[in-house]
Amino acid sequence: MLPFLVLLAVYHTWPVLFGTYLAFTEYNVISPPRFVGLANFQRLLHDDQFWSGVVNSLKYLMVVPVLQLASIGLAMLVNRPLPGIGFFRTAYYVPVVTSFAVVGLIWTWMYQQDGPVTFVLQHLGLMKEPHSLLNDPGKALYAVMFVTLWKGIGYYMVLYLAGLQGVPKDQEEAAEMDGATRLQVFWHVTLPALRPTVLVCSLLSTISAIKVFEEVYVMTSGGPVGSTYTALFFTYAKAFQDFQYGYAAAAGLVIAVISLIFGAINFRLTRGGRSDA
Amino acid sequence: MTTSSSPVRAAPSASDLKRRRARRTRLGNAAAYLVLGVIAVITLYPFYWTFITSLENTGNIYDAKLLPGSLSLRNYAAVFTGTTVPFWRMVVNSLVICAAGVGGSVALAALAAYPLAKMRFPGRDAVFIGILTLMVLPNEAGLIVNYVTTIKLGLLQVHGGPFGDALNTVSGYAAIVLPSLSSIVGLFLIRQAYLGIPQELIEAARIDGARELTIWRRVMLPLALPTIVAFAILEFVAFWNSFLWARILPLDGQMLPLSAGLLNLSGQFSTNSRAVMAGAVLTVLPILVVFLFGQRYFMRGLEGAVKG
Repeated sequence: MLPFLVLLAVYHTWPVLFGTYLAFTEYNVISPPRFVGLANFQRLLHDDQFWSGVVNSLKYLMVVPVLQLASIGLAMLVNRPLPGIGFFRTAYYVPVVTSFAVVGLIWTWMYQQDGPVTFVLQHLGLMKEPHSLLNDPGKALYAVMFVTLWKGIGYYMVLYLAGLQGVPKDQEEAAEMDGATRLQVFWHVTLPALRPTVLVCSLLSTISAIKVFEEVYVMTSGGPVGSTYTALFFTYAKAFQDFQYGYAAAAGLVIAVISLIFGAINFRLTRGGRSDA
Repeated sequence: MTTSSSPVRAAPSASDLKRRRARRTRLGNAAAYLVLGVIAVITLYPFYWTFITSLENTGNIYDAKLLPGSLSLRNYAAVFTGTTVPFWRMVVNSLVICAAGVGGSVALAALAAYPLAKMRFPGRDAVFIGILTLMVLPNEAGLIVNYVTTIKLGLLQVHGGPFGDALNTVSGYAAIVLPSLSSIVGLFLIRQAYLGIPQELIEAARIDGARELTIWRRVMLPLALPTIVAFAILEFVAFWNSFLWARILPLDGQMLPLSAGLLNLSGQFSTNSRAVMAGAVLTVLPILVVFLFGQRYFMRGLEGAVKG
């Protein structure tokens, strides 16, 4: 037990404490941190790069409702006892177990100007001039969002599948006997019973949307012209490219507060995840 | 048919209802398969496309296609014989990191969960709640502070002397693995599994004079094995796929694991993306094998993490 606690303290507790302290300092690892009070936060307030990162991170929240609805739908679909359903469940999970390094590379290729995505969009009449979505400042962020969706849907599907198993079957059947339509049953019986799972899933995906980093890092590095520059990308760049650790920590703290706020909103929307089925 | 189309419109018979219902289910199933199939194509095609493109050596590389234009293993050969990116070395690095990471985190979590689940001591619940709080706490500065810690621990110092190389290698691995070794999720999952084991078994063993470690090894471990296996698979996937931390550390290229090194590969072969695709295929393969074999446990571990 002791080794676990030591590692936990060093790599989990200490970062929270020391990171918070660093946010109020100027620090470059070489010389000891120098306390500067709220200076970092004042600087953040006027840092356009930071705010455009925050705005992009907030835009990224669009992924959350789409991802949740799609994975609930998919979970209901694969919850049917159809022959061969195991194959589909496995297929949807393959992107989940693949690393962002590989996923990012694959989609960078898929999005190439002469690549499959352009091919499909052109044939659907959705794109006239062939070009890579990742090079298009107006669309790059959405292209990256699609990858997040693609990679995440299987993960949340499994969680919802677990949740669906806890939905009382007899209540659904009773409602159907009383003449409720499928949609009514879903809305009044299934969804309320699923609420704890919805809370967990939407909380997880909200927080990871605000903190989106890896797919951006591999696919666009924040470009083109900063259109995919997210809040955490700013923190990364300040710390590991400019070596302004104190400033980066301050930005990290602000992002943490933002994700806490959105986490709280999630709690409200799902009524604390209480199932009143 | 006859009853429902008659002018009187008699109520449909039971067998009629049944038949109608069966037809609706068949239609529903067909629609379900269609949707399932389309989504499966969307999730799998990018992998398939990367695979078949990595087998080609000529033609328009990024074309949408269903079959490879030509077949050759040249790109795979290029990856293995690439001079600036040591592919074999990265494979070994990944294996070492995974072995140390999975072994270490499973052992630590399995050991630490025992007193938290089955031993009585003052402050036990406080410790547990404290650990869980860590999971919720914001940790944005984590990478930064862990980076500083790793430097302060001297894990990135370059050692000289006769054992210098060996020492550098070991401390490089430690720098990569240590921050993720204490898994709170793992502690939580395994503690849940321990809680389900009847207290009488432990009491009986204690009366027989067994030491706590013996009880842990002989009683707890075997009974919690399914959860531990599930957790081990989760950890394998996590360690194999992690790349950000290793890329942040100022390690030399020889020390990088596969996932992190793949991005270097993409820099080296900027003119030959097919070779990078081959590298990507080789990086995904082990994880797919583990996933396919451990699927059952894997899903259970994931579900357990939520239900808890």
